[in-house]
Amino acid sequence: MRSSTLFVICQCSAFSSIAAGSILSTPLSSHQILPDNFKPPQVFKNANLLRNINLEKGYVKETVNVVIENIDAKEQDTYYIPFKAEAIGNVGGLEVRDKKDPEKPAFRSEVVEYDPYSPTQFYRVTLSTPLAPSAQQTLSINYHVLSALAPLPATIDQQDKQYLLYTFSTYWPSAYVTEKQKTKIKFSTADIPDYTAQPLREGKTFTYGPFEKNPAGVEQEASVRYEFTRPITHATLLERDIEISQWGGNLATEERYWLTNKGAHLAGQFSRVEWARTQHYSPPTSALRGLTLPLQVGSLNPYFTDDIGNVSTSRFRSNIREANLELKPRYPVFGGWKYSFKVGWDANLGSFLRKVKKGDGYVLRVPFLEGPKMGEGISYEKVDLRVILPEGATNVLYESPIPVLASEMSSHKTFMDTLGRTTLKLTAMNVVDEARDKDLIVTYDYPLMAAYRKPLTVFAGIMTVFATAWGIGRLDVSIAQP
Amino acid sequence: MAVEVLEPFLKGDTGRNTRGLLRLIILCTIAAAAVASRLFSVIRTWHPLGRVTGGTLYPGLMVTSGIIYHVLRLLSMPVDIRNICVLLAPGFSGLTAFASYLITSEMTTSPSAGLLAAVFMGITPGYISRSVAGSYDNEAIAIFLLVFTFFLWIKSVKNGSAMWGALTALFYGYMVSAWGGYVFITNLLPLHTFVLICMGRYSPRLYVSYSTWFSLGTLASMQVPFVGFLPIRSSDHMSALGVFGLLQLVAFVEFIRQQVPNKQFQTLLRGLIFVVFVVSMGVLVLLTVSGVIAPWSGRFYSLWDTGYAKIHIPIIASVSEHQPTAWPAFFFDLNLMIWLFPAGVYMCFQHLKDEHVFVVIYAVLASYFAGVMVRLMLTLTPVVCIAAALAISSILDTYLVADNPIPTETQSNGQATGDSVKSATNMIKDSLRSTRNPVLGIYSYISKASVVGAVTTYLLLFVLHCTWVTSNAYSSPSVVLASKLPDGSQHIIDDYREAYYWLRQNTPDKAKIMSWWDYGYQIGGMADRPTLVDNNTWNNTHIATVGKAMSSREEVSYPILRQHDVDYVLVVFGGLLGYSGDDINKFLWMVRISEGIWPDEINERNYFTARGEYRVDDEATPTMRNSLMYKMSYYNYNALFPAGQAQDRVRGSKLPAEGPQLSTLEEAFTSENWIIRIYKVKDLDNVGRDHASAVAFDKGNKKKKTAKRRGARVLRVE
Repeated sequence: MRSSTLFVICQCSAFSSIAAGSILSTPLSSHQILPDNFKPPQVFKNANLLRNINLEKGYVKETVNVVIENIDAKEQDTYYIPFKAEAIGNVGGLEVRDKKDPEKPAFRSEVVEYDPYSPTQFYRVTLSTPLAPSAQQTLSINYHVLSALAPLPATIDQQDKQYLLYTFSTYWPSAYVTEKQKTKIKFSTADIPDYTAQPLREGKTFTYGPFEKNPAGVEQEASVRYEFTRPITHATLLERDIEISQWGGNLATEERYWLTNKGAHLAGQFSRVEWARTQHYSPPTSALRGLTLPLQVGSLNPYFTDDIGNVSTSRFRSNIREANLELKPRYPVFGGWKYSFKVGWDANLGSFLRKVKKGDGYVLRVPFLEGPKMGEGISYEKVDLRVILPEGATNVLYESPIPVLASEMSSHKTFMDTLGRTTLKLTAMNVVDEARDKDLIVTYDYPLMAAYRKPLTVFAGIMTVFATAWGIGRLDVSIAQP
Repeated sequence: MAVEVLEPFLKGDTGRNTRGLLRLIILCTIAAAAVASRLFSVIRTWHPLGRVTGGTLYPGLMVTSGIIYHVLRLLSMPVDIRNICVLLAPGFSGLTAFASYLITSEMTTSPSAGLLAAVFMGITPGYISRSVAGSYDNEAIAIFLLVFTFFLWIKSVKNGSAMWGALTALFYGYMVSAWGGYVFITNLLPLHTFVLICMGRYSPRLYVSYSTWFSLGTLASMQVPFVGFLPIRSSDHMSALGVFGLLQLVAFVEFIRQQVPNKQFQTLLRGLIFVVFVVSMGVLVLLTVSGVIAPWSGRFYSLWDTGYAKIHIPIIASVSEHQPTAWPAFFFDLNLMIWLFPAGVYMCFQHLKDEHVFVVIYAVLASYFAGVMVRLMLTLTPVVCIAAALAISSILDTYLVADNPIPTETQSNGQATGDSVKSATNMIKDSLRSTRNPVLGIYSYISKASVVGAVTTYLLLFVLHCTWVTSNAYSSPSVVLASKLPDGSQHIIDDYREAYYWLRQNTPDKAKIMSWWDYGYQIGGMADRPTLVDNNTWNNTHIATVGKAMSSREEVSYPILRQHDVDYVLVVFGGLLGYSGDDINKFLWMVRISEGIWPDEINERNYFTARGEYRVDDEATPTMRNSLMYKMSYYNYNALFPAGQAQDRVRGSKLPAEGPQLSTLEEAFTSENWIIRIYKVKDLDNVGRDHASAVAFDKGNKKKKTAKRRGARVLRVE
């Protein structure tokens, strides 16, 4: 076990320089290293727990509503959520809120330890107000797990149905004693040929339990195999650039995707005849045929290119109500195939940027993600978001709607810049398309003098050229005057 | 009113400045138009058609784009190198227009001739064909260098200036680094010098400029690695050297003539000429025989004998732009200029100064070469533009004058306007004086208007023609095909890039792709995979190997594929769409080229039917139907049609009811319109069977086996 984990880590470091390569589990940073044999103090118990697993998309989405009770003598505010070491690298978007008061900001939650040798890893949730002894609180825990679904059989024919296998524990792996719990799974289809652990089956829903009195850390493995004849669209990397031009009043967005389909591979080779034949009635298929990007209303000048130029198979429908960019890859992307491309568009800056009434401050509000929106969902292993602010912007602050792994300030030098533009780079791992609806807020200061820097530089440059030309014109280079 | 206001700007010193400014603006506009008319293709695709740096190329083009890239980077203008490559040719065409302005201005005093030449150069299809956006080719910068070098040469001959001569050499060196067509300059300048000497126009100016150019230029050209020592070893360059020697002799003789009395000089001259001729011929022959000087290259022969290439170097003949030019092409590429061209050349004879001699020689040579090879239309275009501009400008200078010519000594001085009858009678009266001192000029407004109107119409039609040709014929990139849907909207057929991108994304990095060499650069650039042969592989044998693999039976081809480590084979098939530039139509060249190396194994005759037809249907010969190319093109094609209805829309023929079977290859990818078909070469069979029997087994030829078993059972019962 240890050696194999170590191998994975080594591989990661070896490949980390490749931008589009697999960044499976780049170590999540940690502020506090806990000892190897750490056990969360048994100060809570889960009085009641309902776990919902949603398998309607190409990734696993879990919602756990749990009533926790402080069984300690003192008031407590630290709740631990355990994950298996091999799974924690794929967990993303973990968010814990007070179920009773969902308007309040989410509790602080972070990975507390990343020690690759420990079989169990923890998220630590800090409650905003400590829980008094024997008081109860209802938590709503949301997260999604990427790469947890495996096609079985792993290779299928072009027109075959695709089945996915999902293995999980019917008990929610908790660090505390659970009095009572129930697990529900929701599918997108009723075609579920294989499953274990005798659930209660109602149409597209499975229910396990209720289970009584589960001790901490206990698990019961179960698996389901269900039909999912849709592509499992996965971006190994998304680079998203948001560039602000305060002079031009323009917000330019460019996104570079490295997509792959994690569905079942083709058993044989791709057959165009068969593909063309089925195109007339477009049956469900595991191949990715197209992507729809609903952009902000008012977006314009979209482009869709890849490494070898413009892709002519895109369509942009824009009107007052919507601006949909419909993309079609050059070829259908079957399981195991890859497709990388680049899209970009412009938008009026006015609807995203606001000037603070006093001083030189500005507030920018942009969606964290604007990627494809599809029924089967799309997951991103790594998202690099760069917000390129105007040259000379200072005092940059941001508030991210989803957990950010790293943030970095740098300078981006482009069109006739002298200093370079202030750039905020945010890196997030294991993101899913739900982040589309969440906004990133960035504030910065942009003094007036910074705005006039470039016109003055260009003016000086052109004057220099003229002066030089004039000077050269005055030179006399003839050998002898006749 | 307007005229009065403009008056001070057009007269005197201010007028000179105004006209200068006007000329500058016109030139800038021409340059902009020249760039703009090359952007048709960009609207459809952005990619330069895949040239990848090779080791045996002229470096000028890449160095130029690299320098532009780095200068822009220095000014912190982050322009993608790809965009520079795309726009390099249009940008340089603007410069070419400027260069032709300069060279034409040297020919004549008319101020409009230069501008006209610039316009012509800017928009003529003959040049656009090689400089549209995205045609990242040597010619893109070479034509500018060609014209500009000629300009500098003329300037230097006119002034006898070593500086201009050195500049000529500098740009000549640049030209050598950019295009193999530099040989044209290498031979044209000596020829010009030679003709001038023969015309008795030797002058110290000629001596200075030629000697400067030759010595510096030869040194400069030898700095290019691909050229190396060719300038002193190859026969192609010998004329320049010979003329250089001749020039020294002539200079020497001139010198002696000034020192020695006339009679002795005659004897001396004869003796000298004889000795020098014999010695130099002897040395030349000796060096050629001993191999120090390379014999004429094959391409050189093909310039004189158009049938040479087809017999000896099929690979050159197989390129469409190496074919002799069809007559309509001249009109297509040059339009009205082709009939103005002789007029312009004739006008050069009228003046026949040194620079006009140059234009005449250039015109004669380039016309011949343009007739031999389509590609060389490019070298003809500049001189046609110059000559046509000379002709048109002289017409316009004569007719487009508002004022009537003022006869020097006639009485009709004051009332000339409109009173042509009277002045005519006047002229008849004193006809004697008028013949002595004729008044040249056009008086009638009608004739002025009609001629000017006609010329304007021609020029407008020319613009129309150029725009049409450019947008329709020369701006369609070969990788993207555009067609119109019934509702008039544009439909783009992007099969090439679809398949190339599939290769790029979904095959191993090191996968070797075999295809005909035409697609080598495209695969290298767009699919980013190694290929067996590409557009720069002048290794004929290797190309012939690919040709052999394509034209042989599977059993013969498979070992070739294995030996060359081929993973994928790519063929272009236009049968579904009616795309005629496909591999089946190129197939005979593959056969011919491989027959050149393996005449025993490949025979072109076997691919034709008994009646000498090249067919793909039921009557196709067995050799044809068993060739790998045929099988790959039509494999599984039948499945698209109802039984027995398969149709090839390029060849316009019905295909055999049963399609070909492949056993050593399997279909890996076929693009949307079937233009590109990619096959994967199967690995050796696991159990050591040959592929044909393995395929037969997989298909379950149960008949044989069941028959055997039954037979056995019957025996047992008895």
